[in-house]
Amino acid sequence: MSSTKKVIVVSNAFLLTSGIEKLVLELSGMLVDQVFYGSEKKLSDKIISKKPEFVIIDPDAVSDILIPLLRELNEEKDIKIIGLVSSTSSRKIISRFSFTLNVEKSKYQLVEAFQKIVGKEEKKKSNNDQLLSKREKEILQHLAMGLTNQEIANKFFLSVHTIMTHRKKITRKLGIKTLSGLTVYALINNLVDMREVERRV
Amino acid sequence: MLLEKEMKLADVIHHDYNLVPIINRFGIMLGFGDDSIEAICKKEQINIDFFLTILNAFHDPQYLDNDYLQSFSASLLIDYLQKTHRYYLQNKIPEIEGLIKEMKSEFELDNVSYNLLQKFFIEYKNELINHIENEENRVYPYVIDLENAGHGHPISATLISRIKKYPIHSYEAEHEDVEEKLTDLKNIIIKYLPPSKSQRIRFRLLKELTVLEKDLNDHARIEDLILVPKVEILENLVISKQHL
Ligand SMILES: [Fe+2]
Ligand SMILES: [Fe+2]
Repeated sequence: MSSTKKVIVVSNAFLLTSGIEKLVLELSGMLVDQVFYGSEKKLSDKIISKKPEFVIIDPDAVSDILIPLLRELNEEKDIKIIGLVSSTSSRKIISRFSFTLNVEKSKYQLVEAFQKIVGKEEKKKSNNDQLLSKREKEILQHLAMGLTNQEIANKFFLSVHTIMTHRKKITRKLGIKTLSGLTVYALINNLVDMREVERRV
Repeated sequence: MLLEKEMKLADVIHHDYNLVPIINRFGIMLGFGDDSIEAICKKEQINIDFFLTILNAFHDPQYLDNDYLQSFSASLLIDYLQKTHRYYLQNKIPEIEGLIKEMKSEFELDNVSYNLLQKFFIEYKNELINHIENEENRVYPYVIDLENAGHGHPISATLISRIKKYPIHSYEAEHEDVEEKLTDLKNIIIKYLPPSKSQRIRFRLLKELTVLEKDLNDHARIEDLILVPKVEILENLVISKQHL
């Protein structure tokens, strides 16, 4: 079983939101993590911090900020953005999304279309399970010992950017985001011992 | 379901158990018989519009979409938020700390895991305390000053420069850090603590953390979606009055 996939919905319309929630429930292992209104401040930051796999956006809910919002979300390579469209949507809007769902389709057409979008993703990630790679383990150990990203980068002759990428992967695999949380994980699993951790203070 | 003043409070609590801490925060004690929300509010001298807003906001997150914001003062809202803070710090946090200790004394945790869990929770607690202190010492007094200035009190130059330098807007989005640690803690308990024979207290701990998480999220939503917009209106009002 693969782990749960998080979906974020951006919509102002209650009927639409409830429908999407129902649709998402049709696919196993998916859930709507949160619904945002298009008018919320720092919308893209809020969405990104939730680390969703999918973001379903009603273009009407974000009309004048659609373009900057999509630009910021598109920088997150792991997030798939799905636009809700209909036969009356303009070509221009439709073309801004790499994936779309047509709200006028029937239930099972929608489920199928959604499954296709999700499925494409699935294959790419199939060899990417929850276990940490050797490199990720090493980086986690050094994080737990209190080294900064820069210090770890120097030690492994990698760029800070690469370390950050590893760190994001570790967080996604373990479901733990904070440094202290990662440290607790490393200690429980004997990746480091207490004396090494305490030395950092 | 929209909660309305004619409903019996007992029915409302049957319908949504999560509302128990809310009524408690308003000073309503269980044992209120068959009284309606309206009757209870009258008896306890509670502002009914405000009570219903908070009740509905906790009951259904979608509710905050409506515009009803102007029917109560910012100071009433702040008074409620502070009561909620007290509830976290004086009730919830000690309860959770107690459970962590109990896990150890009931042998649901080995020494090493206990020390780790306890240390992690203290870190979390300190973060939460910092967040709350910042709100109570910096943000809320600012809101009260704004409200007074909006209602005819003299407008000081300090207040104007504060509006310009640190508007309420700059303090938003600060809720993530506190949320992240709590999620981590739940994951550690669900996935990574070594299993033990009996897990009775572990279940209770997980439940308490989940309840706290929901309450904190709703609290943060009320700050972000009611307090902040309300304060933005006040900021604009004070700025416009200053030029008169
Ligand atoms: Fe607060
Ligand atoms: Fe807060």
